Amino acid sequence: MISVLAWLVLGLPLLGCVILSLWPGEPDRRITRVIGVGFPAAAFVLTAIIFVTLLGRDAEDRLEIATLWNWVQSDGLSIDLALQIDPLSVLMMLVVTGVGSLIVLYSTEYMEHDRDYRRFFAEMGFFLFAMLLLVEAANFFFLIVGWGLVGLASYLLIGYYYDRPSAVAAAKKAFVVNVIGDIGMVIAAFILVRELGTLDYGEVFATAPEGLGAETGVATAVALLLFVGAAAKSAQIPLHTWLPDAMEGPTPVSALIHAATMVTAGVYMIVRCNVLYELAPYAGDLVAIVGAATLLMAATIALVQVDIKRVLAWSTVSQIGYMIMGAGLGAYDSSMFHFLTHAFFKALLFLAVGIAIHALAGEQSLDRMGGLRRHLRLTHAAVLVGCLSIAGIPPFSGFFSKDEILATALDAGTLGTVLAIVGLVGAGLTAFYMFRLFFRAFWGPEPEGGYAHAPHNPGMAMSAPVAVLAVLAAVGGLLQIPGVWHPLKDWLEPTLLADPGLEATTGGELIVSIVSVALAIVAIGLAYWIFVADPERRLRLAGAATGTRALLTDQYRFDEVYEEALIQPGRDLGDTLTNGVERYGVQGTMEGVVRGVIDTGRGLRVVQSGLVRGYVFAMVAGVVAVGVIFSLVMR
Amino acid sequence: MPWISALVLLPLLGALSMLAVPAGPGGAVQARIHAILAAGGTLVLMAIVVGMFDRDVAGLQFIDHVDWAQEAGLSWDVGVDGISLWLLALTAVMFALAIMAACWRLPERPRAFLAMLLLAEAGLMGLFAAGDLVLFYVFWEAMLIPFYFLIGMWGGEGRARATTRFVIYTMVGSLLMLVSIVATAFVAQDITGNLTFSIRELSGVAFTDTQSTWIFAGFALAFAIKLPLWPFHGWLPDAYRLAPILVTGLLAAVMSKAGVYGFLRIGLPVFPEGADRFAIPIGILAVIGIAYGSLLAWRAPTMRLLVAYSSLAHLGFIILGIVAFDVQATQGAVLQMVNHGIVVAAAFAIVAVINRTAPDDRIDGIGGLADGAPRLAGVFLIVSMASLAIPGSNSFAGEFLILTGVFRQHAWLAVLACAGIVYAAVYMLRLYQSAMNGPRRGGMASKAELRVRDLAVLLPLIAAMLFIALWPKAIVGATTASIERAVAPAQVAADRPEDQIRATVEADPPPEALPLPGDPVPETTTTTPAEPTP
Repeated sequence: MISVLAWLVLGLPLLGCVILSLWPGEPDRRITRVIGVGFPAAAFVLTAIIFVTLLGRDAEDRLEIATLWNWVQSDGLSIDLALQIDPLSVLMMLVVTGVGSLIVLYSTEYMEHDRDYRRFFAEMGFFLFAMLLLVEAANFFFLIVGWGLVGLASYLLIGYYYDRPSAVAAAKKAFVVNVIGDIGMVIAAFILVRELGTLDYGEVFATAPEGLGAETGVATAVALLLFVGAAAKSAQIPLHTWLPDAMEGPTPVSALIHAATMVTAGVYMIVRCNVLYELAPYAGDLVAIVGAATLLMAATIALVQVDIKRVLAWSTVSQIGYMIMGAGLGAYDSSMFHFLTHAFFKALLFLAVGIAIHALAGEQSLDRMGGLRRHLRLTHAAVLVGCLSIAGIPPFSGFFSKDEILATALDAGTLGTVLAIVGLVGAGLTAFYMFRLFFRAFWGPEPEGGYAHAPHNPGMAMSAPVAVLAVLAAVGGLLQIPGVWHPLKDWLEPTLLADPGLEATTGGELIVSIVSVALAIVAIGLAYWIFVADPERRLRLAGAATGTRALLTDQYRFDEVYEEALIQPGRDLGDTLTNGVERYGVQGTMEGVVRGVIDTGRGLRVVQSGLVRGYVFAMVAGVVAVGVIFSLVMR
Repeated sequence: MPWISALVLLPLLGALSMLAVPAGPGGAVQARIHAILAAGGTLVLMAIVVGMFDRDVAGLQFIDHVDWAQEAGLSWDVGVDGISLWLLALTAVMFALAIMAACWRLPERPRAFLAMLLLAEAGLMGLFAAGDLVLFYVFWEAMLIPFYFLIGMWGGEGRARATTRFVIYTMVGSLLMLVSIVATAFVAQDITGNLTFSIRELSGVAFTDTQSTWIFAGFALAFAIKLPLWPFHGWLPDAYRLAPILVTGLLAAVMSKAGVYGFLRIGLPVFPEGADRFAIPIGILAVIGIAYGSLLAWRAPTMRLLVAYSSLAHLGFIILGIVAFDVQATQGAVLQMVNHGIVVAAAFAIVAVINRTAPDDRIDGIGGLADGAPRLAGVFLIVSMASLAIPGSNSFAGEFLILTGVFRQHAWLAVLACAGIVYAAVYMLRLYQSAMNGPRRGGMASKAELRVRDLAVLLPLIAAMLFIALWPKAIVGATTASIERAVAPAQVAADRPEDQIRATVEADPPPEALPLPGDPVPETTTTTPAEPTP
């Protein structure tokens, strides 16, 4: 039964997408709503049934493979169109369908003023399908297929406002960067096929320790190439530049794809491939270092962004950095825990901020906000919950999950200790930039000249999802309490085949909790001091350290470097080839050959007597001559 | 029932029947009926052949063999195996669609146009079905004639020059092939005592390395020009640009497969040693072609040129899969031939639709069409994604198999080829986005919206893409036995590990061809001049 349910969960959002796309004419908005929300919600219900069913089984029996058909068979490589239902994929499915349903519900109101209502829900349905394929796939091939298709969905939804050149450019950038990531994964798959002859998760993980060997070059190559895919999808250095631009998409899209689900696919993949990463410890270390570098870099950039969604985007990059760092160090369950709480509080933040943006008729600049708490009371409370959660203030969820990663890191050797310190610094920065956002948008004076649009409170369709997420963000952390219980870890246990069993010591837990909370409180106080206590202070301080501020505002100028070093040379090379090699080399050679033939023909015009027997003779003679020559020469 | 002969002769018959059609408006109706009956009948026959095809047989099936001039080794010899099956099917489907589209809106001189299309179909069908070198050569050349007229009479501005170049350049290649064919037969006769042009019988002949290399080189040049392989693609941009777009679609979708097919049908099985010597150089040219075609597509000023150069890149992947001598890569290559045919035909069909509102074909002249043409936007998106081989598309299935196989043999070639995938995303998105997205830049969207006659061409193609994406095994499975057999000799020549060679190479040379005791055994090495070996 689980097999059927698994395929239904996957198929329902796709079905919704197909129905909406093929609906003749523009369907009534009520129909769009029913299909757009109903199908994902049904998928969530079915996922919940799968979850409960698995929960009733012994831990060892929680694995099901649902094969639809043999997709291809070639030279020993056999790929099935198959799904794998196990605790890890069910956890991901719950989040994808659950948060996804809430967000499409929210969108029914948020997108109300948009003319392409139907297209939005069709594309959201397609995204949910692709994301579910990514997490449910039973082999690397369909993982890559899901990986590519979520990229397509992301492209479509970033470029949703397709008449806006900036959105079109952002969509293209996201797509191309993700193709680079796809190639990393594809090459990793080539290696797996060559070394192990299979792409099935089960077989790969069972044979990898023998077939790839521990700490070998091949194992390291596989782990690193897979990480190229993860870095592209999860916006890690140096492939992170597309995510902030992706905020061109509508806010619900940012919440679902570019915060809660798709961008965490890299974390899911590393956790899924824990066997491969345990075989390649150096690759794991590199992954952790990249994660730490990303979290710090993104946190600093978020300090100065003016666009409210960009602040959230950089904070997403930074939070995924924590997850990647944890996964790289081998704290797989902690990473998944942080993924879970992050899905709640980041979706909450995006949706709540979306209410503010919606209320101000699309205004996203912090400079044009301020004092909103007087107009949007519930939203204000919801954003506060989100901010407290991401800042790591107990008992909100971010505190438990972030500290679990950092505490585990602290006890994971020298590298772990260094990275834990980086993570703590990042935690302080996080608290500061989030409360900067909070205070600047919701506290302080109203902007000069008033709001762009009189703020209005949202209806039920937007409020309800925010309320649900606020509750989840507030209490989600209680799922794992150090020293008390760890149901999530136990749940994931059967899929963490090579779990190194990293445990934080009680001392470590204490140190991290105290330091991180202290840093967060100081940072929040500092934010209050700068942005609320005396609003003029912000302007006075803005004059200081302009060079650094400019660097941060330009996001460390990655984009400029890529443009100068990679893209423009590529264009130039293309032009050079077109105007040089193609015109003179290739066309010229052909021209020469053709001219040679024609001139020879002219020269031989004498022979053209017009007598048929002459031609016949020449032809026969020619063939015979050629034959004789060859039979002599080529014995 | 001589199925395969019927497949070849029915379009030919259709073309000849055009002679009986009177000129004038009444003739146009008749011409349509003739053309549709011929192309549709071929399609039905093809479907029956696909249905009856035995997937477990490695060699040719449905062989029709009629001796012509036995002393000269000439015969009518056609058949089908797992490789040619899909190329014949591709040809039948593409020409059926093309003739349907042509009948919907007939150009000037409709009888001649339809007759030329049918002749081209007969030529390609014959080429893919030929089991005999002379027959192969006849169809190879015959196919050029209808294409010459199609471009020369119905093409765009400057077509005279383009057709001359196209025909003369390709014929230079084919002349070398003719020389090679004659040489093959005579040299084989020296070795075995039989004069034959049959590809099946020649496959077992033990040519010396030098013979194999030189004769292969002659064939390879002809195939490379036809393919085209970089840098022999000089004829391609003008021909693709100036042909009527329907013909461009056929050139790209079907005719471009002739060269690849030649490598797989003749090059590898008959001259494995030669193929082995040239494998890496051809692979390198293919990879250069991938990068080169992609870069030029990125910078191309017009839609047709963009698709033309993208085609160059895609063919690079296919030929790379062939010269890897890997069963998986070759299966991917055959799958990709089908995929590329479907996708590039759809791409040119879309360019044709957009050209209605942007007759000058320039990419920077249009924009924002999605607004008034949602159907076009959706269909174009699917085609673009299939063209850039997004994971999950039919093209990805082909490229994945090709590159997995190539990686197993020459990891570096596969990794270099992967760079082309990034460029594919860049240039295809450039085409899609500048046409469909952004602010309106001229061009009336309503004129570009898909009409019934466009959908009649595009929907079958999209259905085929989706089908292959979901179940490539339908195509790949039928090729296994034939490809294992076709690749095995080259694998032996390249000293591949035993476990990769899936078919036993026939006795070498075949026992019945061995010289009898007392016969003069030809000296194979002494008379050969010391050619430099690459």
